Amino acid sequence: MLPTNCPSCQAQLKVKCLRCENCQTEVSGSYDLPLLALLPESDQQFILRFVINSGSLKEMASELKLSYPTVRNMLNDIINKIKTDEK
Amino acid sequence: MKSNGFFRLMVNPFTRIAGWQAFGLGLVFLVVSGIIGGFGNLVFDGVIDSHLVKQVTMMQSFSYIAISLLTLVLVMWIAGLFIAKGFRFIDILGTMTLSKAPFLLLAIVGYFAEMPDMNEVMKNPLAIFNSMSMVVLMILSIPVLVWSITLMYNALKISCGASGGKLTTAFIIAILTSEAISKLLIYFLL
Repeated sequence: MLPTNCPSCQAQLKVKCLRCENCQTEVSGSYDLPLLALLPESDQQFILRFVINSGSLKEMASELKLSYPTVRNMLNDIINKIKTDEK
Repeated sequence: MKSNGFFRLMVNPFTRIAGWQAFGLGLVFLVVSGIIGGFGNLVFDGVIDSHLVKQVTMMQSFSYIAISLLTLVLVMWIAGLFIAKGFRFIDILGTMTLSKAPFLLLAIVGYFAEMPDMNEVMKNPLAIFNSMSMVVLMILSIPVLVWSITLMYNALKISCGASGGKLTTAFIIAILTSEAISKLLIYFLL
């Protein structure tokens, strides 16, 4: 799991360096983490399953053995988190 | 850990079951409650009410249940519209129907309860304690009521996706309103 927060002060981390495994070139800078990477792993898994299920909450509910409104509430929570992170 | 999961399922089954499934299961509980209540002269004359009466027909028993259920569902649906958006009516209908399932316990105990002589009770209120089955019914009605109200709260919470003070306030107003409306409807219609 990609760390997104500083273990010392909990502030949001930025990407400082990316490296090519093929030619060892390193690209340095200060890059924001993608929005999805800021979400907890469980939320990322939910989004992945949601996409795989063609965005069908009914199929998600059946797969997770949860009720339809519970799954819809989980999705709403993730939407709220993304909206907060966007700000 | 397992008993914790079972307890959670008993007070909030709606994370697992809602919509038509909950409605179907809830209807089974209500029909059985209505039949046993009809034979045992126990009526569910309000959203969170039940009383032993001298005589009740099967038609009356089901009419009481239908009025209280419809009132509960409609008032909770309207409450939901105030605190949330984008929820399904069928989830409110299903979860609220299932939340009345604990009343089956009262119907079963009520079947064996004996109606005390009201003239005697009027003279001496303590005479009500002469009937052991009546005492059991009265004691059992408290946890059943708490259980059912907890289920109704969780039904509204899950169906609408609401939380916090807004949900609690809306629920309290809705449960009191639905109880009052159901009582009035039963008084005027039956």
